[in-house]
Amino acid sequence: MKKLLTGMLALMLGAAALSGCSGGNNTNTDTDAAGGGDTGKKVKLTAIMTKHPLTQEFSKMQWLQEAEERAGVEIEWQEVTADWDQKKGTLLASGDIPDLIVGVNSITDADFSQFPGLFEDMTGLIKDYGPNVQAMFDAKPETKVIATQLDGKIYGLPKYQRFWPETTTRQFINQKWLDNLGLQMPTNWDELFDVLKAFKDEDANGNGDKNDEIPMDFAPTGTVAFGAFMPTVLMGSEGITLTDNSGLGYFVEDGKVKNFFTDERYKTLVAFLNKCFSAGLINPEVFTQDYTKYQSVARGNGETAAVGFTWGWEVTDRVGNTLAPQYASMSPLKVSADSTSKISWSYDYNSLNYGVNAVQMSAQSKHKEAAMKFINELYDPTVSMQVLFGSLGTNIGDNGDGSYSILPPADAAMDPGTWKWTSSWADNGAMYIADSLKLTLGTDMQSVGSQTEPLKAALDGINKDTDVLPSMFIKYSAADNNTMSLNNTGMMSLALSKWSQWITKGGIDAEWDDYVKNIGKTGVDKNIEIIQKYYDDYKKNQ
Amino acid sequence: MQLITNSKGKNKTDILFDAVVYLVCLLIFLSIVYPLYFVIIASVSDSTLVSTGQVTIFPKNISFFGYSEIFKDARIWTGYSNTLLYTVLGTAVNLLFTLPAAYVLSRQEFRARRFLMLTFVITLFFNGGLIPTYLLMKDMHMTNTMWVFIIPFCVNVYNLIIARSFFENSIPRELFEAASMDGCTHFKFFLKVALPLSKAVVSVIGLYYLVAHWNDFFTGLIYIRSNNLQPLQIVLRDILLSNQVFSQGAGAGGSAGGYAQQYADQVKYGVIIVSTLPILIVYPFIQKYFDKGVMIGSVKG
Amino acid sequence: MISKNLYEHPAQPRAHKKPTVLNTFKRDHQLWIMIFPAIVVIFIFNYIPMYGIQLAFRDYDFSKGLTGGAWRGLFYFRQFFDSYMFADLMKNTVAISLATVILSFPAPIILALLINQVRWKRAKKTLQTTVYLPHFISIVVMVGLLNVLLSPNSGVIGHILSSVGLGDVNLLGSTGTFVPVYVLSEIWQHCGWNSIIYLAALSTVDPQLYDSSKIDGASRWQTIKHVDIPALIPTIIILFVLSMGNVLSTGFEKVFLMQNALNLPVSEVIATYVYKIGIISNQFSYSAAIGLFNTVINFVFLYAMNMIARKSSDISLW
Repeated sequence: MKKLLTGMLALMLGAAALSGCSGGNNTNTDTDAAGGGDTGKKVKLTAIMTKHPLTQEFSKMQWLQEAEERAGVEIEWQEVTADWDQKKGTLLASGDIPDLIVGVNSITDADFSQFPGLFEDMTGLIKDYGPNVQAMFDAKPETKVIATQLDGKIYGLPKYQRFWPETTTRQFINQKWLDNLGLQMPTNWDELFDVLKAFKDEDANGNGDKNDEIPMDFAPTGTVAFGAFMPTVLMGSEGITLTDNSGLGYFVEDGKVKNFFTDERYKTLVAFLNKCFSAGLINPEVFTQDYTKYQSVARGNGETAAVGFTWGWEVTDRVGNTLAPQYASMSPLKVSADSTSKISWSYDYNSLNYGVNAVQMSAQSKHKEAAMKFINELYDPTVSMQVLFGSLGTNIGDNGDGSYSILPPADAAMDPGTWKWTSSWADNGAMYIADSLKLTLGTDMQSVGSQTEPLKAALDGINKDTDVLPSMFIKYSAADNNTMSLNNTGMMSLALSKWSQWITKGGIDAEWDDYVKNIGKTGVDKNIEIIQKYYDDYKKNQ
Repeated sequence: MQLITNSKGKNKTDILFDAVVYLVCLLIFLSIVYPLYFVIIASVSDSTLVSTGQVTIFPKNISFFGYSEIFKDARIWTGYSNTLLYTVLGTAVNLLFTLPAAYVLSRQEFRARRFLMLTFVITLFFNGGLIPTYLLMKDMHMTNTMWVFIIPFCVNVYNLIIARSFFENSIPRELFEAASMDGCTHFKFFLKVALPLSKAVVSVIGLYYLVAHWNDFFTGLIYIRSNNLQPLQIVLRDILLSNQVFSQGAGAGGSAGGYAQQYADQVKYGVIIVSTLPILIVYPFIQKYFDKGVMIGSVKG
Repeated sequence: MISKNLYEHPAQPRAHKKPTVLNTFKRDHQLWIMIFPAIVVIFIFNYIPMYGIQLAFRDYDFSKGLTGGAWRGLFYFRQFFDSYMFADLMKNTVAISLATVILSFPAPIILALLINQVRWKRAKKTLQTTVYLPHFISIVVMVGLLNVLLSPNSGVIGHILSSVGLGDVNLLGSTGTFVPVYVLSEIWQHCGWNSIIYLAALSTVDPQLYDSSKIDGASRWQTIKHVDIPALIPTIIILFVLSMGNVLSTGFEKVFLMQNALNLPVSEVIATYVYKIGIISNQFSYSAAIGLFNTVINFVFLYAMNMIARKSSDISLW
């Protein structure tokens, strides 16, 4: 009986998938077909999703209701916004997990190897019930690489969101201040120093107060790893290509894995930043302010800007709508006018467009076919688009000719980015934005694009083959992961405190040799060796 | 009153003493009140102005976005009523289990008392960790029920010790001897004599338990799945963290900035007020029990 | 020893043997009934899960269950002792927790004595209610408050400090000020709350003692010394012994949130380290070992302190 039912289900799924392939839009007929055979009985599933705290309740997401409907499932969602790591440990260790867990990297590769048997190897299910997932694997083979663990099994499915830029960090300077003081946009570190000095000494914002300008500001350093919007991108001037911000210092140069924390070029950068800090050109609170304050300060006071030179995701996000027109995005700098070093930038395309383990299934689930059917719905290109941006009709407009465009926010006061996060699963969801999908992006993504223009030359110049660390596509064994995370914790604690100490107080020249020795003691060479091994393997199999 | 009855000679030093006391108290008062006041004005002011230090004495750009954000979350009312239930029932169970045990451990003649105390104190330090505890709760079918807030750990050893040492010190040993001569049993003595004499400590321990239940979010986080069983603190923590999201940098996945930024901290400060106000109301009722001395002497006589 | 018959239930026959647990059981059966529920609850919820302690000596192996992993003995302890961070972590943890214990312990006692001296009823009530309020501020908001108020550029306290010529010190970002800021804010937040227990103790003072002290012509200060403080001594000793069990404990969340790159050399403590090594992969066994090490040290301190207290004052936990 049970077999018969599954057989029928499989058949129907096949039919549904076929019709899904022929025309992505007439999804309504699919529902009818499925509903007919199912005699309206829905399979009940449980699921956890780690969502963004801004994201609205799932019961209000129309696309999700429709997707569940089409898959013939009814999902009881547990929507987690906070303290997931704490919750996760007990859930996994007790084996008490729901049918589905959704959310990019909510379950890590390390979890898969630490909790064997807990998650379902979806390889077979994808073949039978996941044509959309299979389509993603066929069109973008790298997504299959991301999904496949060291043991060759697929426990978690990745996301691909296609439209995001090649870097997280854009560089902004206050053009109005430059104009006020009759200065040119700097092209190298020396000129930058002079410009910042002028910002400091003169009344650059023209409000009569010579002392309220903050020439340079950057994001809080953090205590675990570097994030985005840090001056570490300036190492691009010295030829270092950071990958995904290189938060732990690892980067690749000519196929060799290195760590910049013991690199002479890092020393040069820190010395330069110390020169700026000593001259009062960097916000004195740069190491103690939190991210909220970092953002607030840049919003200045009405029309009066406060910050001269900084990094951010997008200019209105960084300085607010009022001040945004004052700022221009700036090209990467050379170290000095006569520097011949190749210029690079942080290359973050992989981490911005791909994500690991966006959805996984419990091995104990009683309804694996139904669960896979639902997953398959998520990877339908038109559904994926709604996973990322919100429902058709309210968030996305159908142009009628097979193309779509993102609609502006219903609340005019809200920016498109916030609206996306509020309306849908956004970047946390499981999705596949096919390269063939015709979609016009919202104003926020368009301006990100245009603000990336000045960085284009540097980004295009990066040799993606030999100078980018493909972390996204590499799986480490549990033992290597453990070793690396222990060593990294020690290394970062030392490196981050020295970084901030040298910038604010100086002393790098005197302490450098000892420091390099100490960093060595934390086991960084062992880590480089491990990463190199995996990198070489990856290259070989490519 | 007392000041007047004092003799003139002592008055001078006593007035000086009083002056110092009041001055110090005033300083303490101010140093505590200002940050609290700041929380209140920050909860209705523009967050950008707050974090750049432009809000100091009066709120600026007043708006109630934070509060409307908090109260528009429908879960908050379920949270309130759940927490109220867990707190009242939980505290009652706590006291029911703790006070008799504390009384017993305060009796010198109870032979097992040192051994039991030691085994209890050990649990303050050694525990099996979260995973075995979680498995135990699961086996007892307590996960995702309200009982997980009430029954487990209903005896807090720290509170037990405090109650015990109070019983030990405030109830004279001879009192039970005298009572037992009249045929009074321990049950009776505990209910009729020990408890009424210990109103102060009962209210303190009660307050400790009450506040612990009120502030408990960990139990909800680990053991509860359904939204309709979640206590207030979980709901508030979710709301609170929704403005912390920017701390990772918007770049992690696209811009989620300007709009919410302006009000982010309002939510943060508003949450404190929403969660603290109800417990503030309870305090005066408890306070009165240790406001004035309990007349042990009169009982003795 | 108090004569036994006083404690015997009238209906019970007299026992002639030495009092032991067994033969006092009949006499004390009511006491046993009263403590039984507490014993059961503590046994079930605290003692049954204790098998989990083994994890510190074993590998974590999900498929074999919590106690099924390979026996590693002291491997994970040695891993901690040999770790590059060990010395710094110990130093920082002890510095923070010891400073907290020593400085924040007397504060509520002094506050309680002070409040007890206020005779203007309304002021006393207001003060009492105000001082306990900060206890309810969550750690996230507490650290947020510190960031706003202590900021050297824009904070109120930052401004006050720079007006008295101390403006150059960034309270939030220097190795020298981390511990003071941490401890003082702890005191600010919890002193009032912790004073409640002492106020309760003061309320049990026999009013006759105050009267007789007045008749003896004692000054206010002398009354505090000879009546109030002795009344607090048992509570003080018990709480002090208990606080000694915290020599290696720092709150995780507050230290972690107050951390920044500048104060990292003094703010990296055991708790934050355990968190950080677990970010990428759960280090169940390693963190269990570190936790157990912590616990043992704490317990040894408490045990020693309890012995000292029993020998010197006859007041002890057990």
